[in-house]
Amino acid sequence: MSARDRILGRVREALSERTAVEHPGSFEGWRPAAPALPVDGLAHLLEAAGGEIVRQPNVDAAAAWLASFCADFGSSAVGETVPEPLRPPLPAGAPDTAPLGVSLARGAVAETGSLIMDARDGRRAQLLVPTHVVFVRTRDVYVTLREALIELADDLPSAIGFHSGPSKSADIGQILVKGVHGPGRLVAVLIGDGD
Amino acid sequence: MAGRGPMSFTGPGNYREEAAKTIRDKPEVRTSITAATRTFDAHRVHAWGQIDADRWRDWARDVKSHVLGHLDEYLEQAEEQLTANGAHVHWAETAEDALAILGDIVREHGVESAVKAKSMLSEELGVNAHLESLGVHVRETDLGEYIIQLLGQPPSHIVGPAIHLSVDDCRRLFHERLGTPLDAEPDELAGAARDALRAEFLAADLGISGGNFLAADTGTVALIENEGNIRLSTSLPRIHVACVGIEKLVPKLEDVSGFLQLTARAATGQPIGNFVSLIQGPRKNDEVDGPEEVHVVLVDNGRTKLLADDAAWEALRCVRCGACLNICPVYRQTGGHAYGWTYSGPIGAIIAPAMLGLEEAMPLPYASSLCGACTDVCPVRIPIPELLVHWREKAVEQGLTPMTETMGLKAYAKLAQKPDLFAAAGSVLRHVPLELGGRALPVLAGWMQERSAPKSSKKSFLQMWKEGIE
Repeated sequence: MSARDRILGRVREALSERTAVEHPGSFEGWRPAAPALPVDGLAHLLEAAGGEIVRQPNVDAAAAWLASFCADFGSSAVGETVPEPLRPPLPAGAPDTAPLGVSLARGAVAETGSLIMDARDGRRAQLLVPTHVVFVRTRDVYVTLREALIELADDLPSAIGFHSGPSKSADIGQILVKGVHGPGRLVAVLIGDGD
Repeated sequence: MAGRGPMSFTGPGNYREEAAKTIRDKPEVRTSITAATRTFDAHRVHAWGQIDADRWRDWARDVKSHVLGHLDEYLEQAEEQLTANGAHVHWAETAEDALAILGDIVREHGVESAVKAKSMLSEELGVNAHLESLGVHVRETDLGEYIIQLLGQPPSHIVGPAIHLSVDDCRRLFHERLGTPLDAEPDELAGAARDALRAEFLAADLGISGGNFLAADTGTVALIENEGNIRLSTSLPRIHVACVGIEKLVPKLEDVSGFLQLTARAATGQPIGNFVSLIQGPRKNDEVDGPEEVHVVLVDNGRTKLLADDAAWEALRCVRCGACLNICPVYRQTGGHAYGWTYSGPIGAIIAPAMLGLEEAMPLPYASSLCGACTDVCPVRIPIPELLVHWREKAVEQGLTPMTETMGLKAYAKLAQKPDLFAAAGSVLRHVPLELGGRALPVLAGWMQERSAPKSSKKSFLQMWKEGIE
């Protein structure tokens, strides 16, 4: 008998006379107040968690913003799925040495202020850079985390990361510090008219 | 016991002495712990004010109870799904089994260095000491865990492992180990740690994590954090091993939505951790990075014993948020070290008796005033005070309480059945100063160790009753 069988056997024995409890159904995020518009809610929570928000009406405007933002950086590590117009006009750098990372989020979640980072975009450029610029289309903003997870479940890469603010810690005397391991600066660029 | 290195606990048996020693000899620990737990709890209160917390908690309680009632089915489903995702699934009955599995992976892949994401289960198993004994360089990467690893200490809190330390403690440590100035600000200290750990991340062969939740339908290990070190530990090394307790199952990935939010709000008052990882398996063909191999070790190590207990199984709903530690007036006095094992505070006291054995866990079920604050804040509504009493009853049944307490209660029972004798004994007691008489009486002696004695009344209750109580 394997360890697996012995563990499962003990579980079954423990449960043999236990009354089962029904699954209570889906998580509806019950709140007293109605949430803000999805894009506003996303922006509010990301900023509250220490992130920066940039709103651009379309890809062209976002590309223009990027060109000016990039002036302060010498190189960048760019995600695999970032479309050509949103790739910075900078020399390519390795994720572990580049001062800037640019990624495309698969979507975002208003309820939690989260950017959905897909492993297919490349994890290192999402994690090793000190400054992380993430583009997200406003039409890809989910209202609830549950909605997002239901959609993601149909097409899962090896890993998904929800990034909801810069890297932070209060492990030293309860004093907040940013940029402990992951990006200390997170800039979310919301592209679209926010409908 | 396996994995008991210098960083490990010595067991709960010395709780009273250790607690007294901490309060007497290290008053600054109480200051740090109380400040940190009050902050954590204030954040929770604020975060729960924004939601219909009662409904969230009912939902979470019921999902967890449902899973635990069908745990065998969900475990099998998770195994099947993880395997389909390309992950390797292992089953460990004990800490020794889990360490042996890790040892095999280390040997097979010639692992020389490992980075670790914060994981209470890995503390429980004694992963670090074991890997070091195999010649593997192991580095904790959560800032708090890194600090206590440098100090050779175990964690003092489920969420904030280093909350017993002050900024000055950290300044001195970093000055000695990383060469930062003695007056460095926390930003500078964290920067020094980042630089030191970045090199370790890039060099490590193996990343080790725990798992906050395991969704059975997609085979997803979900992890919550704020620093990004878990994402790095599970993304950079070529091998990732996640040690997951068998109680961490949830039926569906969509259920994780409620738990990620409720756990974060209960632990630190955030809407969600700044980083969440959802890990299905190894890097796929269309991905440019990520680990080549992912192993998930499903760990029992006493959890089925807890499941088999008709009352205490409810403690398996625990999501390890630390809210019960933060609110506990007893935990706040000493922090976690005095409890002598990985899980301290109220939750530790109710899972220790099943996981370690009741005798080994004594006197933790007594390390509480039964005030009930813990159950009021528990996001999954574990009836902690009831379970403390449950274990106390078992301790009495099994003769594990001090002999004096058992004998005293027996003597009292006899006396109470004989009215004349009862009245006579009461009369004698009232005329002996309690400081003296109390110490001679078995039950009162223990009670009076920590309290000053009240003055006896001149009249007995019976006398007053007969004369008419105003």
